[in-house]
Parts: sequence; C-alpha cells; structure tokens
Amino acid sequence: MEDNKFLENFAFQFDETDPGSILLDTHFKKLDEWSSLIALSVMAMADEQYRVKITADDIKNSTTVNDILLLIKERS
Amino acid sequence: MFGIAGKKILITGASSGIGRQIAIDVAKNGGIVSLLGRDKGRLAEVANELEGVGHNYFSLDLTNSQQLGQFIEQSGNFDGVVFNAGIIDYTPVKFITEEKIDAIFDINYKSVVLLSQRLIKNKRVNKSGSLVFISSISSKLGVPGTAIYASSKAALSSYTKIIASELSAQKIRANCISPGIVITPMTQQASNAGSDEGFKNAEKLYPLGYGTPEDVSGLCFYLLSDVSRWMTGSDLVLDGGHTLI
Repeated sequence: MEDNKFLENFAFQFDETDPGSILLDTHFKKLDEWSSLIALSVMAMADEQYRVKITADDIKNSTTVNDILLLIKERS
Repeated sequence: MFGIAGKKILITGASSGIGRQIAIDVAKNGGIVSLLGRDKGRLAEVANELEGVGHNYFSLDLTNSQQLGQFIEQSGNFDGVVFNAGIIDYTPVKFITEEKIDAIFDINYKSVVLLSQRLIKNKRVNKSGSLVFISSISSKLGVPGTAIYASSKAALSSYTKIIASELSAQKIRANCISPGIVITPMTQQASNAGSDEGFKNAEKLYPLGYGTPEDVSGLCFYLLSDVSRWMTGSDLVLDGGHTLI
C-alpha cells in the first residue's frame, strides 16, 4: 500500500481544504472542515479502497493522518 | 380494556431487541406469538422465555422468496403482525453503491412488502386484524450518513398508508411507529461503528433520554389491541421528545 496514494485518498474526502496542506503528520481533527460526515467518509473510504473496517472510536483515538494509515496497514 | 388475550400475533425480527420485547409483552398478556427471525438458537431462547402456551417460531431469511413461500404455506392465520426486522446503515452519499442500496432495501423494505403481500393474498390476516410496521424517526430527519437507511424507512412509512387504505374494507388496520434511538443490541452495535462517546453525547438531544424496547413495545401493544380500532394509516413518532428540539 502506497503512503502517497493513501494520503491522496484521505485528502479527497475534503472539499474545501487544499489537498496539499494535508500531510501524514497533519492533526486532521484540527482542520476547519473536519466533521462527523468526513469521519464517516474516511471510514467508508477505508472499507471501499482497502477493505478495512475502522470505527469512529478508532478515529477518536487517532491524532494524525499517519495514525489512520497505520491502522489500515495493521488490518489489511 | 387493552386486552389482546387469545390474539395470534406474528413478529419479525423477534430474536432480540424490540421484537423480543413485543413477544414477551404479548405473551404475558395472553396473546399467542409466532416468532420469525434468522437465528434459530436465539428464537428458541426467546420462545422459552414466553409465558403461556401455543407459541411457535420459524427460522428463515425474510429476503429469501422460497423460504417465505414455505412459511406462508404452513402458517395459520394472524390477528396482528409486527414488521420489526430491519438493519441500520451509515453510508455517506459519496459512498453509496448499488449493492448497499439492495442490501438495505431488501430487508428494510422489500421483504416487508413481500411478507405482507403474501399474508394478505393468502388471507392469513383475520378481519379486524392489525399490522404494525416499525419505521424510524430517521425517515423524517436529515442525519448525515443515513441516506439509504432513512429512505428505506420513508418508503415503509409510505407503504403503510397505502396498505391501510387498501385493507380498510376488511377492517384490517395498518399503522407505523417511527422511533428515535432505542437501546438494543443492534443500535449498540451501530454505535460501535460510530463513537461510544458520540453516542452518549447525542442522548442530550433526547429530552426523555434514549428509548427502551419496552417503550416501543407499549405502543405496539396498543396498536395490536382493539382499543386502537379507529386508528389506521398513522405514522406515530415515538422519540422521547427528540424532534421537539
């Protein structure tokens, strides 16, 4: 699994945020656009693209984009 | 006044949660219950909990037309049916697929329509009988992520009105209940897909707190009894005041 492709998939869930501003060490919940719908979208993206289930508690317990990436790697 | 003693009541999704509670309450008050569900072991457990005699259970997949046909062939007549089986789904619009729509609508809408159709066509519902459909408050809200689920329940609420109209000549009544969040194994599982903390915080949006299976069962009991004989085609919101705020 390519880290850059994951980053692209993650950033694609946002509509207003500059994709270039989302990096692996970004604290994604601090982004202005972050919402419960984007959280659901990240979960759905993980399922659709990587066949990995992540829960809202996983997201709650994660801080950076890399935390989500590691979760998906662990479970795929 | 609220008696349903001797009435034969069919309940789908009866192996846990709201369905199980309705079965317990109906049996406790002298009703004779037929339980439908997928999990034979859990249905047997619920059947064992029921007071009184004459109850039975059938394990089947409601989305399987052949199994449904076999059930209708061997079933007797009913004075009331509670269409409770259903599943929850949280999918943002961007991630909707044909497969997801089919999976949710097959159980939440199509199987309900086809079971009721076969019961009616084969004259398995007695005159003055009562059909109760369990919809959801989601059908009237706009909660992000519930597009497929809420649409399937809105379809069910609409269906209730039409079947109520078509069956009125036989004095068979049809009503639906639109509950807010009720604490059941299914909603607890769904809350794991969401956040436990978020689930607890959202209860603040319910002036009377989240509901219990007993709360829904109580209204079902009323709709199954003859006390509600003038009520048909209604969609009853039961949400602890959620839509007030």
